[in-house]
Amino acid sequence: MGAPLIQARDITLVFKSKDREPVTALRDFDLEVGKGEFVSIVGPSGCGKSTFLNLLLGLIKPDSGEMKLDGAPITGPGQERAMVFQEFGLLPWRTVRANVELGLELKGVPSPERSARATELIKLVGLKDFERHYPHELSGGMKQRVGLARALATEPEVLLMDEPFAALDAQTRDLMQAELLQIWQQTKKTVLFVTHSIEEAAYLSDRVIVMTARPGRAKEALKIQLPRPRDYEMRLTPQFNELKSRIWDVLKEELTSRG
Amino acid sequence: MKWLANFYTEREQSILGGGFILLLIVLWELMPHLVPLSQGFSLFFTTPWKIIEACYQLFVENKIQEHLYVSSIEFLAGLGLAIVAGLPLGLITGRSRNLDAMVDPFITVFNATPRLIFLPLFILWFGIGIWSKVMIVFIGAVFPLLINTYEGVKNADRVLVNVVRSFGANEWQIMKIVVLPNSVPYIVVGLRLAIGRAILGVVVGEFFGASKGLGFMIATAATNYKVDVVFAGVAIFMGLSLILTMAVKKIESNLSRWRPEETKTF
Amino acid sequence: MKIKEFFAEHRRLWLGLSSVLFVLAAWEMLLTYVFPLNPFFFTKPSLVAVAFKEQVIYGALWGDLAVSSKAFLWGFSFAVLLGIPLGALMGWRRTAGYTLDPFFTALYASPLVALAPLIIVVFGVGLFAKSVLVFALSVFPFIFNTFAGVRSTDRLLINVVRSFGGGEKDLYFKVILPSTLPYIVAGARIALGRGLVGIIVGEFYAASEGIGYAISRFGDTYRLPEMFASIFLLMITAVALTEGMRKLETVLAPWKTTQETR
Repeated sequence: MGAPLIQARDITLVFKSKDREPVTALRDFDLEVGKGEFVSIVGPSGCGKSTFLNLLLGLIKPDSGEMKLDGAPITGPGQERAMVFQEFGLLPWRTVRANVELGLELKGVPSPERSARATELIKLVGLKDFERHYPHELSGGMKQRVGLARALATEPEVLLMDEPFAALDAQTRDLMQAELLQIWQQTKKTVLFVTHSIEEAAYLSDRVIVMTARPGRAKEALKIQLPRPRDYEMRLTPQFNELKSRIWDVLKEELTSRG
Repeated sequence: MKWLANFYTEREQSILGGGFILLLIVLWELMPHLVPLSQGFSLFFTTPWKIIEACYQLFVENKIQEHLYVSSIEFLAGLGLAIVAGLPLGLITGRSRNLDAMVDPFITVFNATPRLIFLPLFILWFGIGIWSKVMIVFIGAVFPLLINTYEGVKNADRVLVNVVRSFGANEWQIMKIVVLPNSVPYIVVGLRLAIGRAILGVVVGEFFGASKGLGFMIATAATNYKVDVVFAGVAIFMGLSLILTMAVKKIESNLSRWRPEETKTF
Repeated sequence: MKIKEFFAEHRRLWLGLSSVLFVLAAWEMLLTYVFPLNPFFFTKPSLVAVAFKEQVIYGALWGDLAVSSKAFLWGFSFAVLLGIPLGALMGWRRTAGYTLDPFFTALYASPLVALAPLIIVVFGVGLFAKSVLVFALSVFPFIFNTFAGVRSTDRLLINVVRSFGGGEKDLYFKVILPSTLPYIVAGARIALGRGLVGIIVGEFYAASEGIGYAISRFGDTYRLPEMFASIFLLMITAVALTEGMRKLETVLAPWKTTQETR
């Protein structure tokens, strides 16, 4: 693995709100992700997994602890990290193309370059015939593909994915998972993937991190030793099921204890 | 000190909002003392205290009661007629697509034009007595009621309608069991708008052709440069409209106890 | 058979059209053959049509309409220029919103038209007074709709733009402004209606020009066909403006299904 690309140590974050008790989302959370790894985080609801992604993204700062990317501390959003959001987050008044170009636009990339890059990515996610459509004309799966294209457009090193397929129906979800693996294989990004689905985590990742209930901590990391490239049939093997039940055993305790 | 800080953060909204209004009133009251006013300007100027005094005098000297009475009658009669005509019409046009298509052009046109345009015509027809005002209130209030009831009916949950129909309900029962309860929030919005239009109708109707009523009182006071009486009249209208709005809110919450908080219209 | 299909498809249009024609025809028939027509009280479509032709094509009604429009545009433009930034400020800065909201709500809820006689007494009869009245009535929908629009900006989209390194300026122009636009246009539609009330009231009450004045003048002189004709002219204008606004709404915001709060 070499030196880890992402390093998080002793991260603590407390949410203070006006009329409620403060909520400790994360406490002493540690994580390391190697370059080119596909790591999933699973955990009970409210355990802070999405919060952690937002911390990595740089939109919020932890109360204590340190986060480093490639040795340098994370102080805010940056070009090396891009997120794919669960509710897509597409600008409804922009076409698919304009949405994909958003990140590049904000970075000041001139128009012809932006356009070329967007074309490339739109083709990559298979939306070539839809580039002049508006989000409201697209299905959930298509919207998420736009989200993915947009995230990849700025050529980040790290792809942060916050339950990206949770809002999709089961079939689309399966399709998108396969596509994601393909694209990952091609682009060789480092991926941090948050999900509720053990099956999804096991299917996609090199490692699965199980978090405790709130306040969240990394409880255990399980290596997924399945060969790549992975296909759907692998999900039907007893080996896969065993992996799943191991993850489940670790997660189970957290679901019943508190949270 | 901490208690004060907590007190503030809890009631921040009302403190800021109420404080601002209070500040404006105080500044207004103090203005003649702070800023020298020209002769011409002071003719048209009044202060909050004077307005309160004028209000008090109007009530005590029994000058306002008759006007209030007349205006109230015009308002209630017009609004009442509007409800009686608008609600059923809204219900029927909502359910019948043919009737809707036939009535739609008229409604669109009349809704788009400021109904006050008919005031001279109504005065021609009904004179400067109560009836011209009742009619202008009616024609102003009936459209929001009709249109919003129509919207409420049209938006009735199809699934629920089918459910009730599958149990053998007829048109009237469907209306009663599904459509009407579902339309309540729409009708409430319509009622709120109608009340606003109705007050407008009373006010303007009485400016233009009347011999009695709050609007008439305001108009005559204006021509006699009795600015405090003018503002007193406006304040009374404001107060009335506030009371009515709160009454409508109360009615709505009583009728909507089954609805989750976020979907209430206020 | 083709004709039948044509009718079936555009059924709504045909029903609407025929009911209007029916009403006009019935009106004409009733007052020509059934009831005696008292010219001081009533009139019929044929007479109105003649008056319309005379007044509009040869007469002064266009001039009146122009005068009214000028006052309206002045008041309305100021409402736009002041209302939108104010509403935006209130929506974006929480404290500004808290401070100004109750004050403006109180003003919006009161019948400001009641101040019309005062405004006329103070500013006299003319363009300025009418514009003030139009402004006072039409500024509030802009304030409140912009306020609501800015406040309803999807937080997720703000995070998205921030996550790509967008600054304040990017947030305003790429997220908040487009997101608020449909609200502003809907507000414009409502403000239009209220502004029309302002101009009409201003002209009824004391004016020597304008379409409101024309209508009341015709009423005073019992010239009913002309009065109906002027009312009709105003109706057409109002409908054209309102429907134009609606079209604008759908063009500027195809992604939004705006709610009806007329």
